[in-house]
Amino acid sequence: MYLTAGIAIIVAMALMLARAIVGPTVYDRVLAVNSFGTKTVLLLGVLGFLTGRPAFLDIALLYALINFIATIAILKFFRYGRLTGVMSDENPAREELR
Amino acid sequence: MSMILFFAAAASDAEPMMEVTGQAASVAIEILILTLLVATAVSMIRMRQLFGVAMLSGIYSLLSAAFFVALDAVDVAFTEAAVGAGVSTVLVLSGIALTAKREMPVDRRRQLLPLLIVFVTGGALVYSTIDMPAFGDPQAPANAYVGAEYIAQTPQDVEVPNIVTAVLASYRGFDTLGETVVVFTAGLACLLLLGTTLRGGGKGGRD
Amino acid sequence: MLLILDILSFLLLAAGGAFVLIGAVGVLRFPDFYTRMHAAGVTDTLGADLILLGLLLQVPDVMTAVKILLIIFFLLMTSPVATHSVAHAAYAGREAPLTGKLLLREHVPLSPEAEREKELQR
Repeated sequence: MYLTAGIAIIVAMALMLARAIVGPTVYDRVLAVNSFGTKTVLLLGVLGFLTGRPAFLDIALLYALINFIATIAILKFFRYGRLTGVMSDENPAREELR
Repeated sequence: MSMILFFAAAASDAEPMMEVTGQAASVAIEILILTLLVATAVSMIRMRQLFGVAMLSGIYSLLSAAFFVALDAVDVAFTEAAVGAGVSTVLVLSGIALTAKREMPVDRRRQLLPLLIVFVTGGALVYSTIDMPAFGDPQAPANAYVGAEYIAQTPQDVEVPNIVTAVLASYRGFDTLGETVVVFTAGLACLLLLGTTLRGGGKGGRD
Repeated sequence: MLLILDILSFLLLAAGGAFVLIGAVGVLRFPDFYTRMHAAGVTDTLGADLILLGLLLQVPDVMTAVKILLIIFFLLMTSPVATHSVAHAAYAGREAPLTGKLLLREHVPLSPEAEREKELQR
């Protein structure tokens, strides 16, 4: 039962990996990594039940939060070209990212 | 009707049977995760666009943390989750901001020395694993008496229910303190090195 | 009673796995970034929540159930925000959506702020 879900998640991870490799834009890659993180959370949950140790869900919980923070940090970096300071729309990063 | 019977049969498997299938299932999942890890590593080497490499390294650390959980190394997975997936991706991105967007092709002759170093280091690492006791060996020191002693002593010495926490924070407290200082210093050094991008942050925004 | 729970959780896990797969295929196959984001949404909300609900029916104790509920809560809170900010970054970075005929990068409508900046440059 858990194996079905686990293998479905891993296959989906492989497809997402292919999208992260192919690109073509930065945003596709960020999206793929974010979605990959969600799938990792799910896989950790399913793995915990598969091995009969659901206490591992702590890590899945941590991941759900870290993944969000990492995505926001990457996007802030690309939108404003820096990580610190106030997010203002003046002088956004004007690089061609293709 | 037959579908319901199928579910009933699947659900009412005998307990030891479930145990065995569970083990085979987790081995299958471990092999799948390892395959994905190798695929990620190879495509990281092949890719020339540095931002793509940074994203793939994020995926790599997500996968390796999942693999650590599958191997029961929960504390390592925790560290990998916090450092690998979160902080290091951001640091690598700040590094990319200071350099080029693409990796330049390197002259073939200059690739030989790094290849040699990689092979020697890898060979040394593989050689050193030969000395280690086999996985789950009952004669290994960790399994023979050390673990049993910690399990017996921890409730009296430290009043913490989790033995791993007791070992890390009490028995090896100074060791952990040293590690924390090293990691903190490394973080400070990264901030200093990348300061040109990070320090400019205050200029644009108004408080 | 236990059997009903097992069957229900099997159905939820299978449906969740199917949605996760469908979303992943969509992310791989759809033509441009914005449609791919749409497909990724299927994974992040429906697939994830169905799988977590399936796991919730199998919990051994209350603490585990609380953890799963927290994960569901955080995923429900964070993934729309993450999706929104990816879309916003792509829009601000002038990523072209495919509408009818293939749009050129120069013809993408700018965000209001970027439009103002362009005016100032002129």
